[in-house]
Parts: sequence; C-alpha cells; structure tokens
Amino acid sequence: MSALEVAGHALACAAEAADQAEASVHSARSGFARFAGSTQHQPTLVDDTVVTVRAVRDGRVGVAVTNRTSDAGLRDVAARAADAADRVRADPDFAGLPEPAAAPSLDGYDEETAALGPDEQARFAATAIAASGNTPAYGFFTSGVTELAIVSTTGVEVSQRVTDATVVVLAAAEGCSGYATQTSSAVAGVDVEACAREAGEKAARTSGAQEADPGDYRAVLEPYALAELLSYFAWDSFGALGLLEERSYLAGRIGERVFDEKVSIADDGLDERGLPKAFDFEGVPKQRVQLVEDGIACGVVWDRRAAKRAGGDARTTGHAPPLTLQAHGPAAFALSMAGGEAESTDELVAAVEDGIYLTRVHYLGIVQPREGVLTGMTRDGTFRIRDGRIAEPLVNLRFTVAVPTMLRDVPALTRSVTLVNQADFYGDRYPFGVLAPGIATAHFNITGGGSTPGI
Amino acid sequence: MRDLCGNAVDAALGAGASYADARAVLRRSQSVATKNGNVEGVSDQETEGIGVRVLVDGSWGFAGAGTLTDESAREAALRACVFARAAGGGDRRQAPLAPQTGSFETAVEIDPLSISLDEKIDFCLEAERGLARPEVKVAEAFLHAQREHKVLVSSDSVDVEQEHVECGAGIDATAVGDGTTQIRSYPSAYGGLTAQAGWEYVLGLRLADEAPRVGEQAAALLTAPECPAGVMDVVIDAEQLALQLHESVGHPTELDRVLGFEAAYAGTSFLHPEDLGSLRYGSEDMNVIADPTTPSGLGTFGFDDEGVPAEPQAIVREGVLVGWMGSREVGFAGSMRADGWARMPLVRMTNLHLEPGDATLEELIAGVERGVYLETNKSWSIDDKRLNFQFGTQVAWEIADGKLGRMLRDATYTGITPQFWGSMDAVGNSDAWRLHGFTNCGKGQPGQSAHVSHGTPPARFRGVQIGVRV
Repeated sequence: MSALEVAGHALACAAEAADQAEASVHSARSGFARFAGSTQHQPTLVDDTVVTVRAVRDGRVGVAVTNRTSDAGLRDVAARAADAADRVRADPDFAGLPEPAAAPSLDGYDEETAALGPDEQARFAATAIAASGNTPAYGFFTSGVTELAIVSTTGVEVSQRVTDATVVVLAAAEGCSGYATQTSSAVAGVDVEACAREAGEKAARTSGAQEADPGDYRAVLEPYALAELLSYFAWDSFGALGLLEERSYLAGRIGERVFDEKVSIADDGLDERGLPKAFDFEGVPKQRVQLVEDGIACGVVWDRRAAKRAGGDARTTGHAPPLTLQAHGPAAFALSMAGGEAESTDELVAAVEDGIYLTRVHYLGIVQPREGVLTGMTRDGTFRIRDGRIAEPLVNLRFTVAVPTMLRDVPALTRSVTLVNQADFYGDRYPFGVLAPGIATAHFNITGGGSTPGI
Repeated sequence: MRDLCGNAVDAALGAGASYADARAVLRRSQSVATKNGNVEGVSDQETEGIGVRVLVDGSWGFAGAGTLTDESAREAALRACVFARAAGGGDRRQAPLAPQTGSFETAVEIDPLSISLDEKIDFCLEAERGLARPEVKVAEAFLHAQREHKVLVSSDSVDVEQEHVECGAGIDATAVGDGTTQIRSYPSAYGGLTAQAGWEYVLGLRLADEAPRVGEQAAALLTAPECPAGVMDVVIDAEQLALQLHESVGHPTELDRVLGFEAAYAGTSFLHPEDLGSLRYGSEDMNVIADPTTPSGLGTFGFDDEGVPAEPQAIVREGVLVGWMGSREVGFAGSMRADGWARMPLVRMTNLHLEPGDATLEELIAGVERGVYLETNKSWSIDDKRLNFQFGTQVAWEIADGKLGRMLRDATYTGITPQFWGSMDAVGNSDAWRLHGFTNCGKGQPGQSAHVSHGTPPARFRGVQIGVRV
C-alpha cells in the first residue's frame, strides 16, 4: 500500500469522530552500511511507516501517532486523536486545517537509488574503504526512499516520494585525519571513490599538526564547515517563532544590513540541486524564502501557526514542522547560500593570505542565541594559511564565533556550492541539507587548542 | 512477542547466522508543552517493531521492521543476514554469556500514562504561571511520560522481558530586554528532569513552587553584570557537573569510542586500552562508577540489550582509570542499549555517577577566596577525543572571601579533561548528591538518542579558565 493509500484509510477512520481531520503518513525504507577501521561494523536496515492523525473537535485539536497500519491500528490512532482533542484546550494559534493548494512538481525521486538494497549499499561502503588509500576509513554509505503523504477533510491530498544517497568518509590514523562527504537525491550524483580519495588525501596532509595561538584570524571555511555553522545559526534565527519571541538575531533587524553584501541566503526546498520538497508537514506548498539578500536581512520562514500568532500580513511560507515538533516552530530545512566569484578554495586561501583553513567543525554549541554566538571545534583538516597558501597542519582548535561577525566581512566566496547533508538520521528519515559555498572571512575567533587530528 | 523473537532468531540461524538476537519493542510516549498560558504542543505517540541482529561469517547485520508479525520478523532476520554477508567476512564475535532468563519492571506508584492529557495540561499551565514577569517573554512548561515494553531472545539462551516507565517535567523562563535574552530553567535545562519513575516523581518536582524564583532570576539576569574572564576557582553545581561528567568522563570511557567505532561521527577518546589501571584521570577525590542498578536511573535495567545482567562497574577510583563501559564484543560487557526497535544496540552510558565526598555546599564555597559558583547548563561543546571542552551556564554567582555575592550572566568555562578533573579538590557530600536524567544523548549512524542518568554532588575546582571573548 502506498503512503497515500494508508493516509486515506487513516483519514476515513479519523473523519468519523471529528469535525475536521488530517492524516499524514511518513514511510521510509533505508540501509546504512557503516564502517570503522576499514571494516563494515554496523550495517542497519530499517523499514517503517508512521501515521499521524490530527483531529479537530469543537475547535480543539488532538494529535496521535502510530506505526500500526492495520485497520485496528488506524482506528485506534484516530480514536486517540479524537480523545486528545476532547481533552485539550482550544489553541488560539490554530489556524484551521489548510485548504488544498497545488504543490509544485519536483524531481527528487530516482529509480536507481530506490532500487539499492543491502548488497549495493555494502558494495558502495567497500568502494569507499578501498579508495581511501592506506589510511583506515570510517564512515558510512546510506540510501533510502522516503514518502510523505498528507490528506485532510478540507481536501488536501498530496504525496511525494524522494530518494537520497549519502557517503561520509573519515580517513584517519594516529595523528592524521581527513574528511569528505557527498549527498544527492540520486546515487549517480554521489561519487563514492572521489569522496574517499578526498578524505584520504586530506588526511595525508594533516600529520605533524602544530598548535596555534588563540586570537581573531582570517579564515577559509570549506562548505562542510560553513553548512554546519549556518544550520545552527538558522535554528534560532531563521524561523518565525524566534523572531516573534525576540530570541532571534534577526529580531529588530529585518531590513538592516547584517552581513557582507556578498552574502545572500535563502531557504529553498524547491531547488533541485538540493533535496527537494514540494510541501511541508501540513501539506502546504513550499516557497523559496529569501532570508538575507546582499547582506540585508529580508525575512524568516513561516508556518500557518506562527502566521496566525503574528497576525497582519504574515503568511505561511510552507515551513510547518512535523506536528510532534510544533512547539519548535517553523524551520529552515533547505538553506542555500549563494556562491561568489572565486573559482576554487585556493583562491579563497590566496585572498586570506594569513589565517586558518577549516575543513569541518565538530560538536557545535549555541552560547548566545540572540547574538548568534556558537562554539565548537575544528577537526579532520585544519591548516594554517601563510602567504596565501595552505601551510602547516594544525591541531583541533576551539572557536567561539558570532556568526554575524563571521559573515560581516567576507572577502570572497567560491562560485560553486556544495550540497552538505545535515540529517544525522535520528528518528524518522527525512533527508535535508545545506547548499553552501566555500567562504573566506576576515574574522574567526580561535579560543583554544585541543587534541591532535586522527584516532 | 517472545515467540516472534524466537522465530526470528531461528530464521537467522537457518540462514547461516552463527549468532542472532531479536528484540521486540512497544513504546508509548506522551508529551505536553505549554507556553505563555497556552498549549503549545501535545503528543501521544506509539511505535512497535522488531530488530534482529545477526553475526554471519564474523560480520554483523541488523534489520528492523515496524510491524510485529511472524512474516515481518522472519523477513527482518533474513534481511539482516543478507546485509551481514554483503558486509564481508570479519572476525567479530560475541563473548560467551551464561543463559539468562528473567524480567525487570520500573517501580512505579502511579503510572504516568494513566494520568489524563487534560490533567497533564493543567499541571503544566499551573507550573508556568508563577514564571510571569514583565521581562519574561516566554514562560514554558513541559512534561514527558513513556512506557517501553521489550522482549529480547538470543541464540545463546537469553530470554528476558522488561518494562521501563519514565517521566519528567520542567519549566523555562526566557527574559528579553535591550537586545539580549536570558534563560533560567528548573529543575534542569533542556526539558526538565526525567527519571525512571511514576507520576509521583513529577509531582515531587514542585515546579509551581519554584516558578517565581526562576522567573525572577531570568529577569534579573538581563541587568546582571557579565561574568568576568580569568583563571579562578569555581564551584560547580550538581546539575552542570552531571553534564560535565557525561561529556568528559562518560563518553571517553565508552570502549567502542576508544576502539574507533564512532570515529566518523561522535568521535573517539583520548584514552587508549593500555591506559586502564594507570592513567590519572583526576584528583584523588574523583571516584566514578557506572551503575545500571541505581533506583530511578534512566540507565537502569535488569539486562542490557544483549542480555547481560545489570552490574555496577567502577570507572575511576581515586582518580585512576579502572574500568570501561563495553559490550560482549569489545569487552567489559553490560552497557549495550538500542534506541527502540529500529536501531542496533550500541555501547551507551548507563547511570554514571561521581561519588560524593564529605563537604557541604557552604564548605565548598567557603574555600574560595575569589571565584564563581556556576549553576545550570546553557551551552556545551567538546572535541572529538573529549579533551577540550567549553560549557556555559545560565547563571553564575560571584564568590568573594568564601561567600556568595552578586549574580553574573553569560558565564562560560573551558578546560582540558584530565587537567580539569585533576584540579578538583573537594566534592559535595551525599546530602547534596542528586540524580540527573538526560534524554538527548546522541550517538551512532543512523542516530540514536539514549536516556541516561548521572548522580553528582557539587564540587570545587581550582584555577579554571572562565570566560571567552568573542
């Protein structure tokens, strides 16, 4: 049975006991060929279908979730949702169930990727291991098929099947490590061998890492590092709830120049270079939202609930999260930063002249959300830049940076952007990533040193 | 469920597995969140399924299926075998385990899932009411309740059944003023405090009683001076020390990390297998134990997810590394847990405790001439080998001449793990020791969230780097 058919059955059950009802079905079938020390150690296959029912009774909303898709399971989840509706208070921010709207037709499904099974997933992992050279490989190859279907008594009936494939390779031995990753909605867009070679070659350059003094450095960030920093910054600052509650860096700054004029950031689920999504978790069509244009803060992403709370001209942009995460507010899950003029990261290095080169960051923490201050560590490819060239490798460095300061003076960005997977695959599979260029920044605050690269 | 698991194990053995285990899991959870007097979110979720793990030709394979039928169980077993075979020959094996049968149930007075949603909502609304202040832009309360029933059957005669019940609650006040935000939480940051216990635990948290103080402190932080930077002595409260222990002792002593299994994601460890018994982790006041038998601990069980009976394991004794948390494959078995049916068991912390010393909080503070008292986590980060860490706390209090002084905001501290623990010169006594439950410990690919507890008292550290300039 397709996700849409399961959703239809669930809705039929829910509609019996509700004034209005909605059923969403999120199904995923995936395989993870995880490896460490160049052997595959944790291969994992998961097959699941999750049904969420939202029932509206007398203006009150109840939500229940199950993965039992039998008739009994669907009747039961519908009854639990109706019961919940009877027990909760009316939500003043509930905007009613959405009316149907035409969702865009997007390419995000690939037959070849969907057909990958454990044999192929293990084979790709083996390819990555072989291609990482003499340095032991750690990481995974994963591929999956995800389907989201939403139907409601107001007439919404949408579904989208998407595929995704990701390879992550950490080539690491004592005192050296290098990292690379590729992701795409089609496995043909992932070059496993090239990714592993990139990690292996990077690792080979990190032996003999030196210390670096704390201080404010000029820096080059590869797309891997920038994507992670942007994602964490977005969590508080690019959603409407943070704006309404004045927790966001953008609160009070919409219309102001906040970043270098070379910086433009959007959230664009429709961009087929990314992992495209046609609609949000309420079935509302996705819109491209310009968040920052030429350095000027333009807006944030909205769902219907936040728009109702804001009143006035606020409208959803198709960014409702899953109902179970409603309290977090609308989320920017398809960040995209425009590229610049540089043809390569080497040009960025030349522009920086003297500074730090970061491949990847690790374990970010949000220190001050209102100011966009994050802390974290560099890892798996940190170098000193001297005389416009990459010089000696460095130990892992602690940084504490205000993202707005980092983006306020950006001498150059690469023309090309890279899709960087941002899903750590917790819970139900929902692939998402950031389209990021490499950037040079005039300010990157190093606050300490840590361990050497590698195992 | 037992038959289903047994059939899956038989199917795996029939397909060539030398070892197999099958875990059937039913999980029901509810959560309620209220904000500024309104219901922000109500969730009532259930999931069920079976996860089958196999060893074929020395390689692991795992498959999870989200239906509990004979057909899906058998199919999961066969798919796990296919994946193991495809992964290629390895030399992995399970250490022998004596046959295990038995059961475990959380001691519960009031089943938290028997409390109606409306009562839970009323509880949250009442709890957040006292947070209200003009400066408090966001007043929130949340609670969580979960019951997980699971059966584990293995090919080497493990047949155990367990039911874990947990619940917890908390309140947050976010104050906004003059372009800055400050947050204050009780009894813990990030969703409150959770334990393996019944509804009586939530009632005992007395959220409504504490709310006025929490709201007041959030508002006061807006105008509090910034915590000064410098090297100074600190006293760290029990809650923040729980996270410090989790990140800088718990994760580095997980033996799978030491062996590199997590290198690509969560990271490795600064420790090496040969450090056991000799590495000085901290001062002689440092005693750490992993104890899956602690009453109310989120890491408490009768058997871990490969059937090993719960047993305490000393990790650090008088400052010296003496144990690991591990598995039947890597050694020091007894810490394997999976996040539901759809994930493979991993080495996870159980309940990791810093054992109490003999000082009162007043005595800890009295021993500081110039320093700060740090309370409640606000941010955290640590490197991939668990050496360099930086934590921020929601509030700090100046200590001058052994006495608490004014409130300070935006405090952070940083250090290197063994040096930091080596600087601990006094540990709070058993009266100040508290159990802290975390429900967001991430690890693994695909990701898994573990629920773990840490018992900690406050403690005193000398010469700690406070503050970072941005």
